[in-house]
Amino acid sequence: MSIFITQMLFAFALFGIGLYGVSSNRDFLRIFFALEMMLNAVIMMLATTAYHLGLSENIPLAYMIMVLATLEAGIGVLIFASANKISGKISPDEFSSKEVLQ
Amino acid sequence: MTILLLTLILILAVASLTMKKSVSAIISFAIMMLLLGIYYISLHEKMLGLFQIFVYTGGIVVLMLFGVTIIGKEFPKAKNRAWASLFAFISFVALSWLFISTVSSLDIVNSNHIEINNLFAQKYSFVVILFALIGISLMYATISMAKVLRNRGKKES
Repeated sequence: MSIFITQMLFAFALFGIGLYGVSSNRDFLRIFFALEMMLNAVIMMLATTAYHLGLSENIPLAYMIMVLATLEAGIGVLIFASANKISGKISPDEFSSKEVLQ
Repeated sequence: MTILLLTLILILAVASLTMKKSVSAIISFAIMMLLLGIYYISLHEKMLGLFQIFVYTGGIVVLMLFGVTIIGKEFPKAKNRAWASLFAFISFVALSWLFISTVSSLDIVNSNHIEINNLFAQKYSFVVILFALIGISLMYATISMAKVLRNRGKKES
């Protein structure tokens, strides 16, 4: 029981670190790191509950989240690279939609 | 052993967000993902662990290295947002409190892992349409971005 709680607390901590990274950083690479961490914290929670509570149906959900995370990273890097090529800036705060969509 | 592994994962997670050099940050991110894969394998989810290692330590890290070609060796300097740490801490405390308040009602099984075939088809077949919609919207976003880039290239030339 206690090891289950500890593992879940570690997953929450990883989610918290990811949340901090997303809300505090201003460059896209760190924001991607933080997003991946948050998604991995969710996968970690699913795997831990699957092991300790016998919820085998959590594992397909974990695979689905992994696929979504991969798609998100691929499309995100592509969009960032395109926006950077157009505006020449690297911080998402500096991007202007007018500049990109011109 | 598990606690040590999880502590290392958290340390590497913090390191990958705070390091100044981008390549070092990516290396710590890759090691973190590798350790997460090992953690899943320790929970008897071998396939999930292997997927984690192949997809994250392989694929995603290469994508991130592509990002380094844009950002450069070092991350740009920026002011920290002080409220972000408070926000993250509050969310951690809220999640932990919610979990601990409900954990007593959960039945701990701790039995041997049973692998059920076709579990995805049995439980999640209804979300296939949703996933198809997500895939279509992502494809649309990619094509739109390619179109924007082509128009921009034409204007410049």
